[in-house]
Parts: sequence; C-alpha cells; structure tokens
Amino acid sequence: MKLYLYGIVDSSDRIKEAIDGLRGSRVYSIPYCDIGVVVSEIDQVTQGVTQGCVLEHEAVVEKLMADFTVLPMRFRTLVDGRDNLLAMMQSYYRDFKGNLERLRNKSEFGVKVIWPADKVKENIVNRLRSDQPETSGPRRSAGTRFMKEKFERYRIDEEFQTRADQFIKAMDIFLGKFAVEKRLEKLKTEKLLLDAAYLVEKSQACDFREAFWHIKSAHPGFKFLLSGPWPAYNFVGLSKHDPARDAEQANLFAEVARSQDLVGADGV
Amino acid sequence: MIAHAIVETDSPDEFAEQIEKSQDALPAKIDANPENVEKGLAKLVLTLIELIRQLLEKQAIRRVEAGSLSEEEVERVGETLMKLENKMAQLKELLGLKDEDLNLNLGPLGDLM
Repeated sequence: MKLYLYGIVDSSDRIKEAIDGLRGSRVYSIPYCDIGVVVSEIDQVTQGVTQGCVLEHEAVVEKLMADFTVLPMRFRTLVDGRDNLLAMMQSYYRDFKGNLERLRNKSEFGVKVIWPADKVKENIVNRLRSDQPETSGPRRSAGTRFMKEKFERYRIDEEFQTRADQFIKAMDIFLGKFAVEKRLEKLKTEKLLLDAAYLVEKSQACDFREAFWHIKSAHPGFKFLLSGPWPAYNFVGLSKHDPARDAEQANLFAEVARSQDLVGADGV
Repeated sequence: MIAHAIVETDSPDEFAEQIEKSQDALPAKIDANPENVEKGLAKLVLTLIELIRQLLEKQAIRRVEAGSLSEEEVERVGETLMKLENKMAQLKELLGLKDEDLNLNLGPLGDLM
C-alpha cells in the first residue's frame, strides 16, 4: 500500500473535516511529534497527469489551508508505506518545522504579465536607427556585413532586456511592499515579461491585490494575471548545512523518487 | 473544485499560450530508446557546439563593441562565424532539428541557453 502525500501541517491533531482525496480516497493525518503529514492510501497510480487529478490534489491542500499552515507536497508524491514515511519525517523534521514557522499566516500570490514585445522591439529599432542613420560608406564584404547585423541584433536584445528590467523593477516596487518574499522570473518567453510568485502575510492580502490593480490600470498596453491565495508552493526550502545530514536526506529523496518511478509518476 | 484561490485576467487564452510555450521548450524526461538514440546523441553534440558557437559570437560582438578589432579582423571573424552558422543550419536540417531543440535543462540552474 502506497501513501499519497498532500502536505505537511503544523499540528499533530486529527483532521476534523472529512476530506476526499485523489479518486475519492479518505484523507487523514499521520502525526509526527508536534506536526503531521496528510496522506491518503492508494493502490497504484496508473493514469497520467490530468487536470482533474491536479485539481483534486490542490483542493485537498486548500482545504487544509483553512485550518493549518501547510507545506504543500508536489503533485504525485508517493511514499512506500508508513515506515518509510516516518523515516522521512524524522530526517526532515527540523526543515519542516522551520518552514512551517516561516510560512505561518502567509500565502502565495502569482502575478504574470504579458507585454507588447513586438511594439517594444519596433520602438527600440526606430530609436537605434535615428541615433545612427545609415551612411553610404564603402561597400562592405560578407564577413563585415554579417558582424554588423549581429552587432545590431545584439544591441536590440540588450535594450530589450534593459526595458524589461525597468518595467519589472517599477512593478515590483509596488507589489514588493506588501510581500515578505518573492520569486521573479523575467522573459520566460519573449512576450511573458514577468512570471512572479509573492509570499504575502494574510493580513496584507487586500493591500497586495489593490497594488496589483493599481499597476494594471497604469499599464494599459500590458496584460495581467493575478492568482491566489495559493499554498506556498514556491517558498518551501530545505536547509543544506550539515553534509552528513544532506547525504542522509538525499537518500531519502531518492527513496521517494524511486517510489514515484515505480508507479510511473511524473512531477508537475 | 478549488476552494479559495482565484485566477483573474482579461486574457486567459493568451496567458495559457505563453505558459504552454514556456513549458514546452524542453521535455521533462530524456526520450531515449533504441530507435532514436543516434538522433538523441546528435542533438546533444549539436547543442554543445551551438553553445560554443554562441559564446564565440558574443565574445566577437563584445570586441567589436569595445573597438579592439581592426577592419581585417572584423572581416575574418565575421566570415568564420557566418560559415559556422551556415554549417550548423545544414546539420540541423539534416537531422530534423529546430533551434529550440538545441538546449538542455540543467534543473535548478535553468536552461543551458
């Protein structure tokens, strides 16, 4: 019997509310010291990653969020039996505890921004051309022409990156004020200017949302997406101080990974 | 089904397209089997050559920017890089690879290029 993990919670108490897990399985908590790991029992995971499964997992984690601080587990995290689970809890206890304290009363918001990349590039090209008008110099040979084209493209890219940095900085000044931690990713695609996760105190969530709408109205040519509050998927980290403990933890991670491989599980 | 989280946007399709694009860049797993092992190896080798080619190109551009190359040197470097780029294009076509195929996911370090 495998245990499907939904998250680590900051209490060893039983879950009071009846929660349905993946494929209708019963969700319950296994206590370890003063924290707990929320699981359901599962025979085998045969189906691929479907939207339904991901939403079922997410719904469990969000229900837990109502009563506990939760460290959400990656979708399709499986452990082979209770003994392996408790061994994992023992090894990671200090990390789990530290993360639970750090994330107490906080949730994650996602912000994505699409900018008019084509217009930005066109604007840059026009500006560079006006700075350096074409001169009718001697005819260039192929190698020199090639280098000139590359150099111009390089300058356009540099300017494109600089403008992206400027926009992100301006947006982050507003949003960052209401966040305790953040993860910003710039230009994952040419159009996707910003893909950000902000960790926000629950008491600041309204202010954060207000700041978002303020930025949105100040950038009419841009497209915005705000999502949340989510469990803090992007802000759970494990410490790496003790090499001996790291090696031990690496083995346990491998155990978890192996158990995932056995059932053909993928991470999301 | 989701209890609390809300997604708010005026352009859901456009965001879905961009998110898909950013995730589609690389497969989650290496697709290695007896039928495509040669192509997989060729892809890996070409990726490394492409990385070196891009590094050479950037170095040359920096030197042009700094003005440390004579006209003859710019011509020679330009011709070499141009030939290298053409050869890479031929190899990619021969092996049925696209520009976006020539990359490696280095896990927490991100993509190679």
